[in-house]
Amino acid sequence: MKMGKIKTLLKSGVLLDLYFFKNNKGNFIAMLIWPYLMLGLVVGMGFLFGSPSTFKKNIGLNIDPIAYFIASTVVMMASISVMWEVGGNVLFLRWLGALPYVIVAPHRMSIILVLSYVPRYLFYTFIQVVEFLPLLVLLEGVTAGIIKTLIMLLAVTVGMLPLLGFSALFASLLLIIKEESNVLNWLNPIILIFSGALYPTSLMPYWMWLISRVLPTTYTVELARTIALIGSPELAPIMFLIGILMGLAVVYNILSYMLIGAGEKSAMKRGII
Amino acid sequence: MDNAIEVRNLVKRYITYERKGFLTKVKRIVEALKGIDFDVKRGEVFGLLGPNGAGKTTTVKIVSTLLLPDGGYAKVLGYDVVEEPCEVRKVIGVSLSVEKGFFWKLTGRENLKYFGMLYGLDGEKLKKRVEYLLDKLGLKKLGVADKLYEEYSLGMKARLSLARALLLDPEVLILDEPTLGLDPPSARALREFLVKLAHEFDKTVLVTTHNMFEAEMICDRVAIIDEGRILSIGSPKELKLKVADNIALEILILPSPATDLDRLVEVLREETEATCSIVSDVNGYRLKLIVPPNRVEELTSISVRLLHKLGCSVRRVEVKEPTLEDVFIKVTGKKGF
Repeated sequence: MKMGKIKTLLKSGVLLDLYFFKNNKGNFIAMLIWPYLMLGLVVGMGFLFGSPSTFKKNIGLNIDPIAYFIASTVVMMASISVMWEVGGNVLFLRWLGALPYVIVAPHRMSIILVLSYVPRYLFYTFIQVVEFLPLLVLLEGVTAGIIKTLIMLLAVTVGMLPLLGFSALFASLLLIIKEESNVLNWLNPIILIFSGALYPTSLMPYWMWLISRVLPTTYTVELARTIALIGSPELAPIMFLIGILMGLAVVYNILSYMLIGAGEKSAMKRGII
Repeated sequence: MDNAIEVRNLVKRYITYERKGFLTKVKRIVEALKGIDFDVKRGEVFGLLGPNGAGKTTTVKIVSTLLLPDGGYAKVLGYDVVEEPCEVRKVIGVSLSVEKGFFWKLTGRENLKYFGMLYGLDGEKLKKRVEYLLDKLGLKKLGVADKLYEEYSLGMKARLSLARALLLDPEVLILDEPTLGLDPPSARALREFLVKLAHEFDKTVLVTTHNMFEAEMICDRVAIIDEGRILSIGSPKELKLKVADNIALEILILPSPATDLDRLVEVLREETEATCSIVSDVNGYRLKLIVPPNRVEELTSISVRLLHKLGCSVRRVEVKEPTLEDVFIKVTGKKGF
């Protein structure tokens, strides 16, 4: 694929979001408020179970619970957003009746889905991470706050790469299956459970643990926890997880490139576009 | 290459599942296309005319690379729609529905810019093309280019849909029921634009419709399709002649006071061998001849000459051809409910 085409696809993604925000300012404000609402919910629920000192005692580290939840909220929200946006984009376009007009564009469907989404992902996550910067600086000081913010940015950017391929596979499944909302409803929570977002993978039965190892979301969840727990910059465990994510990025993106074509063909054969 | 679109023995089957009980489903195979053939010449407006469920949309979706056939082939400007879909997509413009397919929270101009970019246009070229199309399709004149799509009327949506189909200035336009649901002025404007596109800008247009009047007005050639088969193909005039057993020729005359009307009818019957009758009219007399379709011109001139000879002034000659609707009903054998 020529660079010029990649550039126009990326630009089309930027353009679409800029237009959405320009014409729908309420949506933009909601986007800005949303991370703090999520954080408030998580921290508020945490306080129902105990004080900050109880939290420190339970995890065995001298760390502020709010700083911990900022990091986990950002990385979790980013990874869920990739799955919903890339996968759900097919559903959204079909609902709008715009899917045929995207398919008749002279590019591969997987490339359109992924490339036109990348700018939105980067923009949303950048805004969310930067939004938390003042709070992190207030809680942990200027240097630690900035370092944690930068590590979070690195984590969400690297974490995105395998998730893009993974989500494009998810999108091809939505293309194949006509009752796509059913898939979205049950597959996403299952992926989150298997990834250890709700329950530690170390405590899962062996077969569940094996499945969790091939899901990129498992590593983004672990990355979120690792970043959240560091009081001082310890890059080794983070780099290890980033390495795994990069490897999975190669595998999933190649798989998605190969399989979304099959998904598209199956949908075209069955006449459900 | 004379043909812009070539369709041969195209077959399409859909598999559907009918629910029979709480857990049981029965598989059904619906044959949407049963081996259709047709060609669309370059620069012509070709209509696929048929009732609901005839296979019109299935055909245009296959030609637009949005649906894979189960048999046969379709080619657009020589490119096979299954083997070379990317090449086909570069030369076609598609509009499948006039009422949806755009982002509701974007304006008409923004929607066109987004799709233009998705189709590979950029910079000044994109800007110029979008402005040209907004102008050409009257959206600027209507003052709605910068209005949100959700505020558009159906007529405006139809114009925008056609503008998107023209973004890449394609050689072939594929339109599925482009005037469905439009008010008469919007439908007329769109039809005139389509004819102009084909005849002035040398575009090939494949259009589906079940509006006989529309097909007759805009199509150079028409294929009547029903239950997945093409039943008849040709220009509207050819089709009408093909199905007409006889054609009524109505001549309004003003006879001289000395003209014997009974004698006049008798002479006409003898000379033309046609069934002939005469009735009085407020403007004179209406002479009705039932003639075979292949002799219309010949018998018209014979009748007019005879009438002059018999001292009648001929005011008007009208050939009452069957309408495309008559053709459609006769060919499909469908009479409604």
